[in-house]
Amino acid sequence: MVSVVGYYTTQFGELWSKSLFSLINEAIKGALTNANLDKKQIDAIFFGNMMAGVLEDNLHSPAKIAEMLGINIPIFRVESACASGGVAFHLAKNYLEAQSAKTVLVAGAEKMNDYSPEETTAALVTAASGEEQEAGLTFPGLYAMMAQVYLNSYKYSEKELAYVSYKNHYHGSLNEKAHFRKKITVEEVLKSAYVAYPLKVLDCSPISDGASAVILTSDSNLIKKAKAKVDVLASEVATDTISLKGRQKLDAILSTKIAADKAFTKAKITREDISIAEVHDCFSIAELLAMEDLGFWPKGQAGKRIKELSTMYGSGGRLIVNTSGGLKASGHPVGATGVKQIGEIFLQLTNQANSRQVKKAKYGLTHNIGGSGGTAAVSIFTN
Amino acid sequence: MEPRQFPFLQTKMISPIKVWRRQKEIRKLLGQRGKVLTWTQIYVAGPNFKQYAPYPVVLVKLDDGQKVFGQLVDYENKDLKINAKVVSVLRKVRETDHDDVIAYGIKFKPL
Repeated sequence: MVSVVGYYTTQFGELWSKSLFSLINEAIKGALTNANLDKKQIDAIFFGNMMAGVLEDNLHSPAKIAEMLGINIPIFRVESACASGGVAFHLAKNYLEAQSAKTVLVAGAEKMNDYSPEETTAALVTAASGEEQEAGLTFPGLYAMMAQVYLNSYKYSEKELAYVSYKNHYHGSLNEKAHFRKKITVEEVLKSAYVAYPLKVLDCSPISDGASAVILTSDSNLIKKAKAKVDVLASEVATDTISLKGRQKLDAILSTKIAADKAFTKAKITREDISIAEVHDCFSIAELLAMEDLGFWPKGQAGKRIKELSTMYGSGGRLIVNTSGGLKASGHPVGATGVKQIGEIFLQLTNQANSRQVKKAKYGLTHNIGGSGGTAAVSIFTN
Repeated sequence: MEPRQFPFLQTKMISPIKVWRRQKEIRKLLGQRGKVLTWTQIYVAGPNFKQYAPYPVVLVKLDDGQKVFGQLVDYENKDLKINAKVVSVLRKVRETDHDDVIAYGIKFKPL
């Protein structure tokens, strides 16, 4: 069995005084302190990051991390766009199961605010196909195209989408590390300016800086001694075409479905067993599609179900979604997101989630997407 | 003109060799009819497209079954809808520097 025995995340937000590597340093050292481990006890590091090469002319980050920490262990940078963190975690777990190491650290980080929004938008769109880039598409644009098909097929409107942002901003208000702590109303979402029709500013996750890290071990002595731990029941990755036009459906993400089906089979539990989930809500539409593709809600029902707000903290619902605030309110430092999702489930399953603690949670799930659905990572945990 | 702050992306996208390679494919897609599978209107764009915003982008299924992304031109708001009939045309796809190769590509106009 592989277990998570420590977690730390920096603040997410516009962190003008912090560089990419100062954030990585803070996250790694914070996770070591949290797990009460010394850096000498770490056998390898898996590091999720998307854009340092494109934005900062900064590749070969593993050697920079080695220099910063004064270590000589294997360090791997993992890039799968916005799923970099989730995929790094998947590889780390497999590395332990292959008995290549006993204890590893998974970090994810992104520094996005040192550049203009246009430059960051252009750097993000490198995760789309060349044809999509040449057509002037952006990531909000690609998800807007999925939203158009979904809303049109099931006769929903922009209002259904707005409920996702309303819920996740409420959760963000309960998370001291979130980029946005402000509650918003459905009306405010609907009145916000368009980014890519029909998606508006308040349907979109923000451009955030931040870093997160978890410690993963198969060492039974460490697991026994850990003051908090959760077991990893499954971590699966699936892929699909990079281009939206190659997908079977425009309003469903097949990679999510494949990864989720494999993860549930491996974990030997059912959808009904999950009481907390962190799903990839880079845009409001993405949470609705995720709830369907993960198998929590029937196809076409998410627009109706989100308005019931059963997935909101305090609703008494059986499944609470995105207690961290999700990507929408907690923020979306691309490489960090997948690791923070796992950290949030760790906090929830070990009763450390403070004012947003879901009671009696036994099983949790994380869902991390790269691009418009070309990569999906789904993991399942228990306490 | 302000200095380019993004040399890596800029030079990568306007490599004349890439333009030459791509244009051999583009001619096969000209003058074809199809219908809009989905569309959006981009309000916030990257630096290469910022000056054209807002602009609509459509995903079109051509009559021969191929799917192609492109911007919609010469349109009225009533043309922005799923299943609208369109035809592919050759257009300059984005602004480049004075000494760059002009990047032509596929756009669509309503039928």
